[in-house]
Amino acid sequence: MFKISKKPLKIWAGLGCLVVMAFGSSNAQASECGEVSLMQADWGSAQIVTAVAKFLMEEGYECDATTVPLSTNPALASVSETGEPDILTEIWTNGAPAYEELVESGKIIPVTEVLSDGGVEGFFVPNYLLEAHPELATIEGIAANPDLVGNRFHNCPEGWTCLNVSTNLLKAGGLIDAGIENFVHGSGETLAASIAAAFENKEPWFGFYWAPTSVLGKYPMTLVDMGPHDPEKHACNITAECATPAMSAFPRSVVVTVLSKEFMAENADVSNLMAKLSFTNAQMGETLAWVEDNKASYEEGAVHFLTTYKGVWGAWLNDAARDKLSALLQ
Amino acid sequence: MAFYDKIFETFGLTAWCGKGDESPMNMAQLLAQTRGEASAEASSGIPFPSLDNLNESCAAIPRTRDMTSGLEDAFLSVKDAMKVVLDPVTQPLSWALDGALWAFLATPWWILLPALFWLTWYVSRSVAVTVFVACSFLFLGFIDHLDAAIQTLSIIFVCTGLCVLFGVPIGILMAKSNTLQRAMIPLLDLLQTLPSFVYLIPLIFLFSVTESKLYGIAIIVYAIVPVIRLTDLGIRLVDKDVIEAANAYGMNARQKLLGVEIPLALPNIMAGVNQTIMMSLAMVVIASLVSAPGLGVLVLRGIRNLELGVGLVAGLGIVLLAVVLDRTTKAALARINVAHENG
Repeated sequence: MFKISKKPLKIWAGLGCLVVMAFGSSNAQASECGEVSLMQADWGSAQIVTAVAKFLMEEGYECDATTVPLSTNPALASVSETGEPDILTEIWTNGAPAYEELVESGKIIPVTEVLSDGGVEGFFVPNYLLEAHPELATIEGIAANPDLVGNRFHNCPEGWTCLNVSTNLLKAGGLIDAGIENFVHGSGETLAASIAAAFENKEPWFGFYWAPTSVLGKYPMTLVDMGPHDPEKHACNITAECATPAMSAFPRSVVVTVLSKEFMAENADVSNLMAKLSFTNAQMGETLAWVEDNKASYEEGAVHFLTTYKGVWGAWLNDAARDKLSALLQ
Repeated sequence: MAFYDKIFETFGLTAWCGKGDESPMNMAQLLAQTRGEASAEASSGIPFPSLDNLNESCAAIPRTRDMTSGLEDAFLSVKDAMKVVLDPVTQPLSWALDGALWAFLATPWWILLPALFWLTWYVSRSVAVTVFVACSFLFLGFIDHLDAAIQTLSIIFVCTGLCVLFGVPIGILMAKSNTLQRAMIPLLDLLQTLPSFVYLIPLIFLFSVTESKLYGIAIIVYAIVPVIRLTDLGIRLVDKDVIEAANAYGMNARQKLLGVEIPLALPNIMAGVNQTIMMSLAMVVIASLVSAPGLGVLVLRGIRNLELGVGLVAGLGIVLLAVVLDRTTKAALARINVAHENG
């Protein structure tokens, strides 16, 4: 038999107790998690994030997780007034005017960028159009050939921040003068449907969209080159009354996971998990493309992510959770 | 090993079933694997013989998702043929909507509003109603909602006009034919309950989303139902004795219809028209989801930006329009009834 030196063992045990006490101060046992409510938005990447988070919480941390179907603005309103749901997955900060105020007031705490590469927003043209007419790769090219893109720009619906930015960029790039109609869609669904319809009929399309999304996964499009991003010009472009609209590419859209103040204080384990939970555009894009190809549900997409990227999500867990999920991590 | 394997083996269908592509792993299977359970279905009892469950035992049976994507492929394959038929038929609707919008917005307010007030007086001959309508529009103008309200009003005029133009004849035909009525009732139920987006998104594949006929169809399909139902009801409710008397006088079918049945059914028909107007206004916000201009856009902006006041005021604007149109049509109905009773 080998001898274990008792002194280091005592030190480690003591440290271990301290750690457990620090993290589990309000709970009798460190592994008890209680009830957790998660926001579930209806677009693809958000559904996958929520499904993955829910699985890890329930299987690794023994939480009782419920998902609440909500979209961005109602979710922010709800968490600021009632503190529920505890976790808001995938808040696209560019599209949420209420977000900044709430963070400043301290009611919500952003813990990480859940899409670590950020969202890419901008003007897109379909790849088949670009192959036929390479000059459409830049804004100048489109201004010179408005007929080739169908004389129309598909703009964001009323109420989205991108509406003002896109309209100002159209003015700045001379596209309105070139005769391109600024068509404001009524909803995000018709914007996506117009892309699908254009691809079906192989018609020209030119408008605003963003990645990573199932739509761009299924219908390959390319970003139009608008030059570099300029924060000052963009700050003016965001307002409807901008007197001097100027060309500036959209900034990288920060997409964050947000926790309510109370949840952050009560549940340190799961807060740490959500602080580490993050996807690169490559991982999310591949998962969304897999969902499209296999006509799978988003829950099955989450299963695909969990079985394919074990090294990635294994690193998010604490030791206790990693033990519980050891059967899957092999 | 899936639950229904035994059944397929017993019937000797294993060869026919074959070994198809593996379906993607679902959450139940993943949970089973995580918890180290022997079988995901072990504790769940007898699974319902659904397409998905049967597919696990027999790969030749399609899954539900194959059925839904089959529907999608079927639609995409017929859409070009449908477009050839539907496009010309619905083009007048686009012209009517675009024309009305242009006409209402191009007319300056100091011509348009007095014209509307005069129209209200002409139809209702009621001082109270005309004053109410005047105050409502002046109020909407005062709070900078006049343009949006006028756009909504023009859309409602066109759509309700077309609803009445097509709905009343269809209702009359239904009243004359029991077979047609039996065929139409399920269709009318479908039109009123099928969620609009379900057929609007596929229509975007047929027409461009930039065409106004898209929201025109959305409104008409939903709002035409009351006028059809109530016209049918009104004509069927005409007293049999009166019809007998008309027959005794030697009236032919056309004279009976125009001289007896429609005048007697008029209260019901007007109730149908009134309901059609109400339902058109109820559809305003959904129409704005497919790019209709007007008060619906303001409501959506309020909802998306969490500007509750904007949404509320625009919504109340829609209610005000509804009340204006309701009072006006009720006053017109009262006039027709009065004239009818005296005549």
